[in-house]
Amino acid sequence: MVTEMPEIVMPASTRLQIPTDAEDSPTAIRVVSVDFAYDEHHVLHGIDLDVPAKSVTALIGPSGCGKTTLLRCINRMNDLIDGARITSGSIWLGDADINAPEIDVVDLRRRVGMVFQKSNPFPKSIYDNIAYGLRVAGVTKRSSINESVERSLRAAALWDEVKDRLDRSALGLSGGQQQRLCIARALAVQPDVILMDEPCSALDPIATARIEELIQQLKREYTIVIVTHNMQQAGRCSDQTGFFYLGRLIEYGATSKIFSNPSQRQTEDYITGRFG
Amino acid sequence: MMEPARHILANFDEALRALRNSVLMMSGLTERNLNNAMQGLFERDDERCALAIADDEEVDQLEKQIDRDGVDVLLRYQPVASDLRRVVSAIKLNSNLERVADQAVSIGRRVRKLNRHPALAEVKLITPMHVHALAMLRESIDAYAREDVELARTLKGRDKALDELNASVGRELTEKMAHDPQRLRGYLNLMFIARCLERVGDHATNIAEDAVYAVAAEDIRHQHG
Repeated sequence: MVTEMPEIVMPASTRLQIPTDAEDSPTAIRVVSVDFAYDEHHVLHGIDLDVPAKSVTALIGPSGCGKTTLLRCINRMNDLIDGARITSGSIWLGDADINAPEIDVVDLRRRVGMVFQKSNPFPKSIYDNIAYGLRVAGVTKRSSINESVERSLRAAALWDEVKDRLDRSALGLSGGQQQRLCIARALAVQPDVILMDEPCSALDPIATARIEELIQQLKREYTIVIVTHNMQQAGRCSDQTGFFYLGRLIEYGATSKIFSNPSQRQTEDYITGRFG
Repeated sequence: MMEPARHILANFDEALRALRNSVLMMSGLTERNLNNAMQGLFERDDERCALAIADDEEVDQLEKQIDRDGVDVLLRYQPVASDLRRVVSAIKLNSNLERVADQAVSIGRRVRKLNRHPALAEVKLITPMHVHALAMLRESIDAYAREDVELARTLKGRDKALDELNASVGRELTEKMAHDPQRLRGYLNLMFIARCLERVGDHATNIAEDAVYAVAAEDIRHQHG
């Protein structure tokens, strides 16, 4: 099935203002008028969002505003929840409608990796954590796997710390190292997009700084979408920020603009700590 | 304009309020010092000049206090958006106010020199500049205090008028110097005072620009025409 990617008409309040350094970036992810419900409970309403490629997009908002739900829509993680569905609208990864029947969900999740709030390494060796996804993808050649393991661990800024103990259990790593291992695991299958759901919420400031530094390096090659409750983190790491409230995208624009002079009163109240 | 909602952290509101109050207190002290220096000129009163000079210490201390408080707010609350602009503006206003107080000191010192000699009729040339500069200072602070962007925007044009007054005073006094070299020193002191008032206008303009930035997030500095 070949479907034309529709033109997006965004309301003025949510119109994308691409920051200078992302101006020339093509759109990696296009969310078009997405409504989403858990059974009868509608949690997203008419979300329109363009995510520029090779940049970091932060989604912020109070708990329950729908930002994680949207994140999980992008690699169809919500398919795993009974009654959870997109009721209207579409999400495009490049030219592909990710909810089209011909889309292979396993392949989609290879292209759109995810890092969760709590690091979740497999109870296996460091090496096997990275190799797992490759083996699932059908890679059997030992030298290819070795090469990918090293490349992924280097890209996740973890290689120097673990290169001499690749056969040790991943569960013996610190929290920050485990989270970087999970990032390396996502990178091993060479995704286009990495989704991060509060990746630093359980980490100390040093480990958080390492992940943030890593995000800056990874955006040269990957498109990153990060959900965070940490306003300073969104300000430091992201190129674009979207503010969600009660299932709506209230404002989306260049991070520098959102955090210096947001257009919407609700955004201002939230980021300045006046909410509630 | 709509009053911003309160922060969830009441202490944050309190810290911002305290910072703003300190800036307003600083503006009051600065204006008082300038007024003392100028009245010292008009009334030939060395005592008031001495007050303008001595009270600068109070302004200097308050300047340091406001800077400390501003940095403290940045550290503790990491303000963003309008809160950040308000803190940055307060710190910048603080610096401009301190410089106005320095102008008051300079004026006070010159006036004391002038007062050692017979009164100069040309002092009256300074009056329009004094009125103009003082009005600019008051209104720039008013614009900040009331968050009145429109009033703040008017200050820039008025600074040009003050510059012209200063040029005009300079021309007249230069002419007088040629005719009456005996009073050259006195005329130079008056020119210096006029120059100080012209600088007060510059600081008032800066304050107004910061007031616009604080409220409207607009940088109107270095815009001509």
